[in-house]
Amino acid sequence: MGNKQTVFTDEQLEAYQDCTFFTRKEIMRLFYRYQDLAPQLVPLDYTSYPNVKVPYELIGSMPELKDNPFRQRIAQVFSEDGDGHMTLDNFLDMFSVMSEMAPRDLKAYYAFKIYDFNNDDYICAWDLEQTVTRLTRGELSAEEVSLVCEKVLDEADGDHDGRLSLEDFQNMILRAPDFLSTFHIRI
Amino acid sequence: MLRAALSLFGLPLAGAETTEERTLEPGTPGEPPPGLALFRWQWHEVEAPYLVALWILVASLAKIVFHLSRKVTSLVPESCLLILLGLVLGGIVLAVAKKAEYQLEPGTFFLFLLPPIVLDSGYFMPSRLFFDNLGAILTYAVVGTLWNTFTTGAALWGLQQAGLVAPRVQAGLLDFLLFGSLISAVDPVAVLAVFEEVHVNETLFIIVFGESLLNDAVTVVLYKVCNSFVEMGSANVQATDYLKGVASLFVVSLGGAAVGLVFAFLLALTTRFTKRVRIIEPLLVFLLAYAAYLTAEMASLSAILAVTMCGLGCKKYVEANISHKSRTAVKYTMKTLASCAETVIFMLLGISAVDSSKWAWDSGLVLGTLIFILFFRALGVVLQTWVLNQFRLVPLDKIDQVVMSYGGLRGAVAFALVILLDRTKVPAKDYFVATTIVVVFFTVIVQGLTIKPLVKWLKVKRSEHHKPTLNQELHEHTFDHILAAVEDVVGHHGYHYWRDRWEQFDKKYLSQLLMRRSAYRIRDQIWDVYYRLNIRDAISFVDQGGHVLSSTGLTLPSMPSRSSVAETSVTNLLRESGSGACLDLQAIDTVRSGRDREDAVMHHLLCGGLYKPRRRYKASCSRHFISEDTQERQDKEVFQQNMKRRLESFKSTKHNICFTKSKLRLRKASRKKKDGVANTETTNGKPPRDLGFQDTAAVILTVESEEEEEEEEESDSSETEKEDDEGIIFVARATSEVLQKGKVSGSLEVCPSPRIIPPSPTCAEKELPWKSGQGDLAVYVSSETTKIVPVDMQTGWKQSFSSLESLASPPWTQAPAITPLPPCPVTTEESQAPLALPSDPLLSFAFPPSLAMAGRSCSESSADLRQQQELQPLMGQEDHTHLSPGTANPRWCIQFNKGGRL
Repeated sequence: MGNKQTVFTDEQLEAYQDCTFFTRKEIMRLFYRYQDLAPQLVPLDYTSYPNVKVPYELIGSMPELKDNPFRQRIAQVFSEDGDGHMTLDNFLDMFSVMSEMAPRDLKAYYAFKIYDFNNDDYICAWDLEQTVTRLTRGELSAEEVSLVCEKVLDEADGDHDGRLSLEDFQNMILRAPDFLSTFHIRI
Repeated sequence: MLRAALSLFGLPLAGAETTEERTLEPGTPGEPPPGLALFRWQWHEVEAPYLVALWILVASLAKIVFHLSRKVTSLVPESCLLILLGLVLGGIVLAVAKKAEYQLEPGTFFLFLLPPIVLDSGYFMPSRLFFDNLGAILTYAVVGTLWNTFTTGAALWGLQQAGLVAPRVQAGLLDFLLFGSLISAVDPVAVLAVFEEVHVNETLFIIVFGESLLNDAVTVVLYKVCNSFVEMGSANVQATDYLKGVASLFVVSLGGAAVGLVFAFLLALTTRFTKRVRIIEPLLVFLLAYAAYLTAEMASLSAILAVTMCGLGCKKYVEANISHKSRTAVKYTMKTLASCAETVIFMLLGISAVDSSKWAWDSGLVLGTLIFILFFRALGVVLQTWVLNQFRLVPLDKIDQVVMSYGGLRGAVAFALVILLDRTKVPAKDYFVATTIVVVFFTVIVQGLTIKPLVKWLKVKRSEHHKPTLNQELHEHTFDHILAAVEDVVGHHGYHYWRDRWEQFDKKYLSQLLMRRSAYRIRDQIWDVYYRLNIRDAISFVDQGGHVLSSTGLTLPSMPSRSSVAETSVTNLLRESGSGACLDLQAIDTVRSGRDREDAVMHHLLCGGLYKPRRRYKASCSRHFISEDTQERQDKEVFQQNMKRRLESFKSTKHNICFTKSKLRLRKASRKKKDGVANTETTNGKPPRDLGFQDTAAVILTVESEEEEEEEEESDSSETEKEDDEGIIFVARATSEVLQKGKVSGSLEVCPSPRIIPPSPTCAEKELPWKSGQGDLAVYVSSETTKIVPVDMQTGWKQSFSSLESLASPPWTQAPAITPLPPCPVTTEESQAPLALPSDPLLSFAFPPSLAMAGRSCSESSADLRQQQELQPLMGQEDHTHLSPGTANPRWCIQFNKGGRL
């Protein structure tokens, strides 16, 4: 309890509660997780709104993440400026999206953003190629990848403009109920 | 006894079966006459296997009869019908023989009938779903079974203490617990039989079914422990025995699972080296799985668990290693065996029930048991679900719980176990048998009958058989990775973390060890799905135009051929599936004048009715290899690929049209009339199925329209698909154009590559539509062959091709006359053409640049013309093969024949 007071002010906590789907307890737990990432960087006192970022290098170099094809993308999507460095707010955001309370549309939106590598608000063939290449760990030839992407686009492209808009994506992803129902993480 | 059997079989089987039996009958009594017998019955030597075969036959025939009426099977689960049939048969046996025969023997059941069913369910278990729900499944299987056993046993004992069970039933608490242990386990056979017809959603199904599989370990342990306690007498049981009982639970279950995994490993490893002896692959699968079962049984571990784990563990690697045919064989054999065993089990169950000598009825016990198992099952499910829902991401709602409680069917396992009891040690055995039979019948018949309406009434989420989409596959993988990444970031080692770990381990070590290199390479799931989708599209396309297939008697393999994929390089495959251009069918539309058409009809009549010169398949006598048909299969594959491609391009045109508008416009004039016809054809759905030759025109048109669109499509996507080889086709057209009308316009800019120019056909050849018919086939084949077809075929192709080349020179001279047209219409065929040729070293022809130009220049000034021309290479080829059969591979003829019917 004492800890809580020193880390955040009540207003801060309330603000966090408003912005995320977490309770105070969960916020505190997440904060300690965050602090664990870089104990030397992150102060234990957040009352003064310190401008702290955990650099991407630190996240990306975690041994568990070494093989994860999306580590960079995730960090980029959830970091404010797209450089992969994460503030506490970003960190909370990320888990908030993944929480069970988060509405499907929000999840779909972030999933969409993760796919949208070039940040043009459309998933185009190039984005898909990135995804497929990463997923297959470069085992498919360029040609194969492009074929697959074509097919994927063809399947989901509702308005036939050759790329997936957010609506296309949501339509497609909400149709298969399993997708988002498993897109949670329990902290 | 024999008589009993005979009369028994005589009844249900009509016709042949009966007469067979009747002829047997007189023979048997008049046993071997002295001296040399001309004819001798040796019934006793064949009796056992003969009876087994007959039983299975009866069961299968019964199934057929059941399914004659769709109404019955849609209302009543098959298992109910089988049990009822068993009751009837058993009654007949009893009436005839005065004693019950052919009952369900525990030995037979556990050693022969159960393994196929369990193997089938383990092997085809959706592993991802299974592991996703492993926690819930384990809880229900272990905790649930324990709960059911103890509550049911204790409640029954209480019932007895309360005086509601007749005092004849001499049983103590331990006896009731023993009974509880065997009656409380949900039976995999019954669950599978009923739930497969109900189609509840996958999660629900996997939980109930997984529970029924995994609770075997618990049941076996409880049963054994209780049994030994009963045998020892409750007075002699010491505290250590209880501890041993608990420990044995772990030994039995983990041991069983370990045995299964060891055998799965062995199996996967073995199939890695079967490349040259494909024929034994299915056998290996069954043998090793069965060995796992027997080994576990031998060590008195949980055999069901062993087989389940074996099937579950080996599937991925085995499927990747064995050939396509073996996979089909495994699948079908497994399903056949399982359904056989299931059928026989239910039937025997019915027959066993009529043996009143084993029965001893006690209403209190029966009713009490029925009520208790239903009540405690429901209660247990509710309690466990409540706990589980605290942890589950997707909670199980109330309706799910109802179905789960109601779906707790008991079956043959319980029956076999109760038969196994020792009457001297368990004096109330007869009562238990009767109760078990009632319980089994009640659950299978009453609950089985009502569960379907219940599911409907409660509006349980049904499993929807949505087709696998690439998106789904893609997102599933992506989400897995994302979730794992997020979990990693937070340092929270949850489910995704471990799955990710496992996948990496699998990828790095296991797969490398257990899979062939070739298989490993193409194993990527996304690509798999893509491939399957394409195949399915092709099949559905073919279905729509079913005549194409049926007339040629082709059947498409429903799956991609793994072996061929592995052995021809993947890039080849890719190219095929990717290239949208398949011009074969287009060529047909030379049907112009009525006279020509008549000509064609006549020709086709002759061709179809008179002779099939080379359609000679070598009879394969080798027992060890079935490589004989690989080529045939490849032919099919070629065909398939083309269909797929066509379909795809057809689809993709939908959204590409906007881009191609200009091109479209250019072609429009030439195509207009064709399109009209084609559209009506396609939109109306299916063209008449069994086309006489008279109908050919219509068919041709449909195809053609697609072809046209395809071309446009191709021109758009030519960049990606440049590699595709259409060169031959293109060339053909060019030459023909040159020959016929020098004025064809073409665009020169595209297609830098040299063209091969086939020999110019004679005018007569061009004009005769049938040539084109053959030709179109040939074209199609030709372009593909260079890619897919094995070496021998390729050589044949090359030979024919080179011969064509030699013929080709004359038409050439006219080429320069061609006038260039606007660039756009150049089809991708052209651009793609060059690639195919280089792939084949033998085909390297050097053409004069002028020729190449000419080839390029041919554009779609007139579609008819073009199509005609496209036919040409084929024709030439065809001629060649006919002329010099020796050089060409006989298979070509087959292909042509098929093609001709297209």
